[in-house]
Parts: sequence; C-alpha cells; structure tokens
Amino acid sequence: MEKHAISRRDFLRYAGLAAAGTALYACAPIQAPTQAPGTPVKEAVTIEWWTVSSEEYNEQVQRDLAKQFEASHPGIKVNVTVLPESGFQDKMTTTLGAGQGAPDVAFFWDNNWFPQALDLRPFIEKDNFDTSMYIEGFWKTRALWGDVVIGLPLGVGANFVMYNKDVFDEEGVEYPSWDVSTEEWLELLPKVTDLEKKRRWGGDRPRGPFRAIWFNYGARLYSDDSKTVEGYLNGPESVAAYTWLWDLVASNTTPTPADIEVLGTEGTGPVDLFLAGRLATATLNQGHMLNAVNAGANFGIVPEPGVPGNERWVNAWSLTCSIWKGTQHPEEAWAFLKYWVGPEGQRFLMENGNLFPSIRSVLHEYKDADKDYVQAFFKVLELRQVAEWRMTHLCERTVKRAIKDVWDRINLMQIKRDEIKAALDAAVPKAQAALEECVVRLGS
Amino acid sequence: MTQKASVGTIRPRGVIRSPLLSRQTRRWLGAGITYLGMTTLAFFFMIPLLWMLSTALKARWEVFAWPPQWIPQEPHWENFREALTRYPFGRFTMNTALLVVANTIGELLSVPLVAYAFARLRFPGRRSLFMLVIATMMIPLQAKIIPLYALFHRLGMIDTYWPLILPSFAGDPFFIFLMVQYMRTIPFDLDDAARIDGAGTWGILYRVILPLCRPPLTIVVVYTFLWTWNEFLKPLIYLNDFHSFTIQLGLAMFRGRYSVEWNLFMAATLISVLPVLVVYFFVQKQLIGGIASVGLKG
Repeated sequence: MEKHAISRRDFLRYAGLAAAGTALYACAPIQAPTQAPGTPVKEAVTIEWWTVSSEEYNEQVQRDLAKQFEASHPGIKVNVTVLPESGFQDKMTTTLGAGQGAPDVAFFWDNNWFPQALDLRPFIEKDNFDTSMYIEGFWKTRALWGDVVIGLPLGVGANFVMYNKDVFDEEGVEYPSWDVSTEEWLELLPKVTDLEKKRRWGGDRPRGPFRAIWFNYGARLYSDDSKTVEGYLNGPESVAAYTWLWDLVASNTTPTPADIEVLGTEGTGPVDLFLAGRLATATLNQGHMLNAVNAGANFGIVPEPGVPGNERWVNAWSLTCSIWKGTQHPEEAWAFLKYWVGPEGQRFLMENGNLFPSIRSVLHEYKDADKDYVQAFFKVLELRQVAEWRMTHLCERTVKRAIKDVWDRINLMQIKRDEIKAALDAAVPKAQAALEECVVRLGS
Repeated sequence: MTQKASVGTIRPRGVIRSPLLSRQTRRWLGAGITYLGMTTLAFFFMIPLLWMLSTALKARWEVFAWPPQWIPQEPHWENFREALTRYPFGRFTMNTALLVVANTIGELLSVPLVAYAFARLRFPGRRSLFMLVIATMMIPLQAKIIPLYALFHRLGMIDTYWPLILPSFAGDPFFIFLMVQYMRTIPFDLDDAARIDGAGTWGILYRVILPLCRPPLTIVVVYTFLWTWNEFLKPLIYLNDFHSFTIQLGLAMFRGRYSVEWNLFMAATLISVLPVLVVYFFVQKQLIGGIASVGLKG
C-alpha cells in the first residue's frame, strides 16, 4: 500500500510557496477597469478626497455625494478615501509633513495645516463665489487666516448645556432658563444631584479655563496686543471665573476629572453618562444632541451659564475644508470643494445625513427646524464665538499650558478659595515668559 | 497506616502521615485548592472579556447605567449583526490574515539568516553592525513614519501592501536580537562536528541550528501574528482604498466624531480578538516554553 503521495516537508514547502504567491498577487496595485475597445478615449481628471465618517455624514452618504458630483461634472472623478476619525489627524500630518501624497481636497481642521492650504481668493474672485452665504462667525473663524482664504466652512457645531427633563421632573425642580447665570447654576446642581442612591451628578465641569464661561465673566488670558498677562490672567474677571470653578468643585455635584476620564467618551464629552441618566445636565454639542434624539431622550437646551449684564459667548466651530497647496489639479479641486461645501453639497449632507449646514439659508431648511431643541441650537449659534478671539491669538494654547497647574490644583481642591488670586499672581511670570516665547515663534 | 511523630524525634522524610486524611485525600484536596485558586484567578482575568460580551449585548443607554448591569435587560444579539455588516469586516479580516501570512513568511526567512551571521560567523565589524541593528529598535515608529512614507511614495507603493510586508523580509531587530541570543547558547562543537561530516555553512544552519531553534521561532511566529493583527498606524498611513483596510482600521471606524457606539464597538472587538485567542490557546505551551528558554539561556 502506498503510504504518502506527498511528504510533510513537501506539503509545507508548497503551502509556503502558494502563500507567498498569493501575497505577491494581492500586493499588486488595484488595476483600473480596462476600456472597451472602440470607445472614444476621454481623459477624466481624478482628484483625491479624504474625509471621515461621522454622525453627521456617514461613509455611504459621502460616496453618494461624490457620485452626484461626478454626474454633474463629467470631466472629474473623485476618489473617496473614508478614514477613521481617530486616524485622520495622523495620516494628514504624515502626508503634509512628507510633502507628498496628500489629498487634493480634505478637512484641514488642524490650524497647523493652514500653511499647506491653497489660497482660494483667486478662485473666489474668478467665479464670483458668494462667501456671504456662510454664517459670518464661522466664515471669520474657519475660512480666513490672516488675509488669506484657506478654506470653506462645512457644517456648524457648538457647545451648550443639555438638561434631562425627566430628572428635573422627578426631583420637582424647574428647568434652567435661557438666561441662567453662573450663580443660579451653583444653586441648581445640588437639587438634581443624587450620589447616594442613583450615583447621579447634577452636571459636569468645564474642560479648561478661558472657554465660554470665562469669556462670559469678561476674562481674557492676556491683552489683545499679545504683550501682557498681568492684569488679565490675574485680573478680577479671571479671579471671579476661577472662584466660580472652585465653588463648583467644592459643591460635589460634578464628576471628578478622573471619573470623567473613566466614564466619559475619549474627550468627546460625557454623552453616555447623560444618556444613562447619570448626569442631570451636561455640556455637550450638536452631535450628542442627535445621539440623544436617537436614544429617545427627553431633554432641553440652554447656553452655558452667563453673568448678568455681560455678553454671552459660545464655544462654536465649523470644519475647514481646503485644497492642498501641492495639488496637481487646482481647478478640478476647486470645482469639487465649492460643490461639497457650497449650498448643493451641504443640503445633500443635511437631507441624507445629519449635517447642520454653515449656510444660513440652508440651515433653516433643516427638517426638524420647528422642534424646540433645534430652535435652541440655532439661537446658541448666534452667540459670539470664543474662536473669534482664539483664532487671532495663536499663543493662547501655549500660555494655557503654562498655567495648567492652577487648574489642576483647583480641581484637586489643593488651593483654598481665598488663595486663588495669589495662585494666579504666582502663575503670571511663567505665563508671561510663555507668551513672549510664543509671540517670537508664531507672531502676535 | 499512620505513624505518630513524638516531639523531639527526627521524622524520616516521606513517612509523615496526617492522623485525619489519607495521602490520596490530601492529594485531591491539594489539587482541588490549586484548581479553585487558579479558576478564581482565571475568572478575574476573564472579567474584561466578560464585560465586553455584556456590553456587546446591551442597548446603548445601558452601557453606563448605575448600578452596572452584567446581564442586559434584553440581550441585543442584533448588535453583532450590525457590527459585522456596517463595514465589510469579512474583507478586513481576510486582508489582515494575508498580511499576517506574508509577514510571518518574511520574518521566518530573514531573521534566522541574519541572526545566524551575527551569532555564528566571524567577520570584521560584526559587533558594530549588530549594535546598529539593535539601535534601530530605539527609534520610535512615529519618528520614522514621515521619511518612510516619503520613501514608499517615491517607490509608488502607497495604497499597496508592499510597505506593510517588505520590512519583514529585512528582519525585525527585536526578533534578530532574540534569535542571536539563543543561537549563541548552542555549542559550537555541533558546527564543528557537522563540518567534519561535510556540511557547509547553509547545511549547518538548516540541518543543525534551525531544528534546535524551535522556541525562538515560535516566538517569532506568534508575535508577528499578534503585532500584525493589532497594527493600526502603518496600515492607516499606507493604505487609502477602503476595501484594502485591515481589521484594526475597521474597528476604529466605530468611533465617531462626537461619540463611540460602545455596544457595537465591543461586539466587533470581541469578534476580532477571537482569532488571537484561538492562536494563543493552541500555542501557549510553546510560547511560554519559548520565552522561558530564551530568557534563561540568553
């Protein structure tokens, strides 16, 4: 009887060869479909578009948008690359850093990428493209960079406070009013906190200083001419804002930063805690609002607490969509960019996805525009944007990093209430040094 | 039969008897306690996996509910279907498997060759070259990624699997180091004996040294599998075509701009770790033995 037709060693050898062959075959670049004989050759320009899939526009909606564009622009093909949100930053930074292989059109959501964006002014002038259709605040903060137009703003987002109506009803507490003040907020939170039975906090804490609430107090990190920290960081408005934070932390009505680190969602806001009913109020955004709608949550919206008599501010944003400076096809890239971020594209993403457009006329066509929460969101968008200051003060982050210690110590209750002014005074020299170093580097 | 030991007398080894329990009973008791302890420990180590399963079966709002619920009110098995159908996970898995196979072949071909040269051959600059190879381990990928991207872009290899496979054919420095350390422990007398019997350098490598290197080779295979399976940054940087993505890129797609769908994410993650668990289950003996022997002899 014949024992083996093939030895074990031979089998392993052939299997290895087959696997290597398969690997080599699979590594070959994907071939474009061949053209049918006799078809007239038409040169279509292909542009690369990198994007992410999100709650506002998923992968399929964006592919459909590209198809619709291609149908109306026969000479242009759009190669869509949908990347994971968590990897987009790394990939863009790598390709822009290498100066090769970056996409023709993409989100340029990181300010560090702005120098690599094509100046759109010649295209805008040539096409008489109406930039006034964009909501002014977002145009100013996300499309302009100095005198240069580095992109067009897609969609709008903002932080606001969402409150769980069921919790307020259960505790017999009145809903917060639109004009709720920081002091009223401190009185409100204990009434809806129940740590013992339900492990429920009344609200969350600001994620850092000199955001909307600091601006509501009238506090600024440094002078408008980017020269002085003294009298700003440690000025009475700033001290008042930090003192409010101290009172909030001391009230034991908010999760600690450690709680949020464990229970929050990777820096995107404590939406899951809110949806689970463990936060009676939370500072969230329009993406979270859509999550809450999908989850059937019973909620309302107010802006972040204000200070009576002072102007109300909001942390708001839009996504800058730009053309890479190194593109080989600027005309085609512009054609796609103005379609994607223009009225047609934003309407398409709104109707087929969940985008809140940055074009006022399109925004008001939103399907649920009559709903209370959408109306409230629209009202929030009209508030003055913190980004206005931030975009014209490039050293803000550097100086904030230098004074982070004060923030941490208040959150850990390592500073007494009456020591806040002294702590800020002590932080001034370090902040001033950081500002001066940064201004040399980035300008004022 | 038991033997009573009086105070102050020397008891010969092996003749101590418990007055209450027989040897057999004590053996069972000892084994029982050991197994109970190990099972308890294993249960604690299983908690993350069990929590993943529990989360995968929950509705989204239940994930962070208080008190935490191990058993969902109503199991949402459809989460698994949703997780697997939202993105082409079958395709992603096949792509990753292909990379695993190719990288394993690459490492198995290159690492023994390089290690053999460093461990057994005498040539000028050997030590310096070896130090240079080892030094490359000190440079983090993040520092190399931009020049590497530029290099592969110039070679026209972006959006192919070549940048993810080719480096393995040059040998991973960690594996080379491991293999060199192991090969150095094999007596040179074996080489001399083989040479007297007529074997050349290749013959010594393939017929004498490699068969003795099973422990480090097992480590090479298993770690290549694990690293390739879990790699995120390199596929992200080099691949553009959605259908050529790997499983880790697919998992990352569940993180949205504003939130993570934890239940779907956990369902997809649970499925993605199954192959790793299966591989570990089958090779754990060799893997632990390999690491122990390399560590002891190195």
